Amino acid sequence: MTVAETLLSPGRPRDPVTATDRRFLRRLWRHRSGRAGLCLGAVLLLFTLLGAIWTPFEPDWPDYGAALQGPGWPHLLGTDVTGRDLLSRLMDGAWRSLGAALAVLVSIFAIGLVYGTLAGLARGVADAVMMRFADVMMSLPGLVLAFAVIGILGPGFGNLLIALIIADWAWYARLARSLALSARDRPDVIAARMAGVPHRRIVAGHVLPGIALHLGVVASLALGGMIGAISGLSFLGLGVQPPHAEWGAMLSEARLYFVVAPWLLWGPAAMILLSVLSANLISHGLRDVLAVEGRR
Amino acid sequence: MLAAALQRIAQAVLTALAASLLVWAMLPLAPGDPAYRILKARAPQHEPLPAEIEQMREDIGLDRPLPVQYASWLGKVVQGDLSVSWRSGRPVAEEISKRLPATLTLLGLALVISVGCALALALISARFRDRWPDRAIRAYSQIGAALPTFLFALLALQYIVVNAGVGKVLSGGALAYAVLPALIIGVDRAAGWTQLMRASLIEVMDSGFAHVARARGAGETRILLRHGLPNALLPFLTAIGVSVGALLGGAPIIEAVFTWPGLGSYALEALSARDFPVVQAFVLVSALMYVAAALLVDLAAMAIDPRLREPRR
Repeated sequence: MTVAETLLSPGRPRDPVTATDRRFLRRLWRHRSGRAGLCLGAVLLLFTLLGAIWTPFEPDWPDYGAALQGPGWPHLLGTDVTGRDLLSRLMDGAWRSLGAALAVLVSIFAIGLVYGTLAGLARGVADAVMMRFADVMMSLPGLVLAFAVIGILGPGFGNLLIALIIADWAWYARLARSLALSARDRPDVIAARMAGVPHRRIVAGHVLPGIALHLGVVASLALGGMIGAISGLSFLGLGVQPPHAEWGAMLSEARLYFVVAPWLLWGPAAMILLSVLSANLISHGLRDVLAVEGRR
Repeated sequence: MLAAALQRIAQAVLTALAASLLVWAMLPLAPGDPAYRILKARAPQHEPLPAEIEQMREDIGLDRPLPVQYASWLGKVVQGDLSVSWRSGRPVAEEISKRLPATLTLLGLALVISVGCALALALISARFRDRWPDRAIRAYSQIGAALPTFLFALLALQYIVVNAGVGKVLSGGALAYAVLPALIIGVDRAAGWTQLMRASLIEVMDSGFAHVARARGAGETRILLRHGLPNALLPFLTAIGVSVGALLGGAPIIEAVFTWPGLGSYALEALSARDFPVVQAFVLVSALMYVAAALLVDLAAMAIDPRLREPRR
């Protein structure tokens, strides 16, 4: 399930607000699924931050005496085959799973924003060349392209993130370009031009913030799908390399011992489910409140 | 209609060419000397001699300019020659054609199941709007959309097949074995589509002409089937086109979960062995199927909606 699919739904809500509006956060909070998503997201954020500074046990440290213990005390969620504490590994892996998804989206956002805005402002031959290149990048489905890039660079967490950035940036560049083109006719931009504001300041002060806002919302809508993609590719062993913890990679280890230790599957599965659910709920709220259509 | 269709077909050919350029570019873009890597992949223990590397470079035409290399590669691909595997030295096309039916069976069946499932659920949901069937279906689609397909497949496989012992999955690639995995994939992917389809149905049901039909005494079910369904089909169709790409890209993950002997698992093996031509072939075949699916979807949309039959300029 990619975000592109959830966002194809037609129908614009009535009376949209913009993200700079002071009512925006209150509206999102009042939106039912928006509020549920925000609460869930806050809990996950705390979990991630806590995991970055403290875990009950050393996450990568084997303790063969305590191998494959069920949930209980002192290992609240049980231990894996080398006796590593599952809760600690979930906490330690959180920033790799969630932080990576965020990092990829921020990079895609930045690249798409700069590339698309430049193309849209340059117009003419430069624009055409830049957009044909983006078109070539979009001729492959995202995950297939990511797979190809991993094929070139080799497996590894950094390479996985680079692959996902390469797979998706062109969509955002295209959107930024079309927003840049339409910005020329926006009332505030026309007013600024008529008031004699220099070109550079119109771009920096009016065009760019508008595009950034719209693009940022669209990028945030893709968060759920990105978490799923990273965990899926890590599950294949193309991402985080052992012994480090990451939820997708933990699933592929858990699968080997499922019959004797089913709890190893529960933890990572629940974390991925809750993260994607939280991201989806927030994006539902955002879409309704801001009336921004997602990437197609 | 014909002009618009031809225009769309020409566009698809261009997209396929762009994809082929990208696929070919994987080789020169990869770090290291391809000749060295081929020799290394064939004999991992043996350190290639400079003379051998030189010979290999000439054999695979690395001494020619890049556009010539691309043209000759494309020429071979069009004739069905996908070069040879670095590991086994056997033609990649041979292995691909052996593996492709298994993947097509699994993904095709999953696609059919999920489309049918989503259509039926969305119709029920829209018909009984805000009553319990609608709520139950919405809960399902919310959770299903939040479970990545591979994760749902993993859980379902472990709990239904391994624990409860229902059905059989292991291998074969035949249709009979594909039913359970396809059902699992289909049920998960239908979740997102149900949301989408329900939203478009509801929109039609709230529109002016639906109210007119209601005022003239038409029943809800009749309005849903006669007005809602045809009008809501278009965005649904587009979504299917998009998600064929997602299914193809997800094939390595899905096939790893089900130990399915298809294209995706072949590509994954090749990826870990750095067997480049195989990875290239997987990407190329996926790209072509994706382009073809998008083309079919758009042609179908033209057949459904007369407004799309005008050629664009």
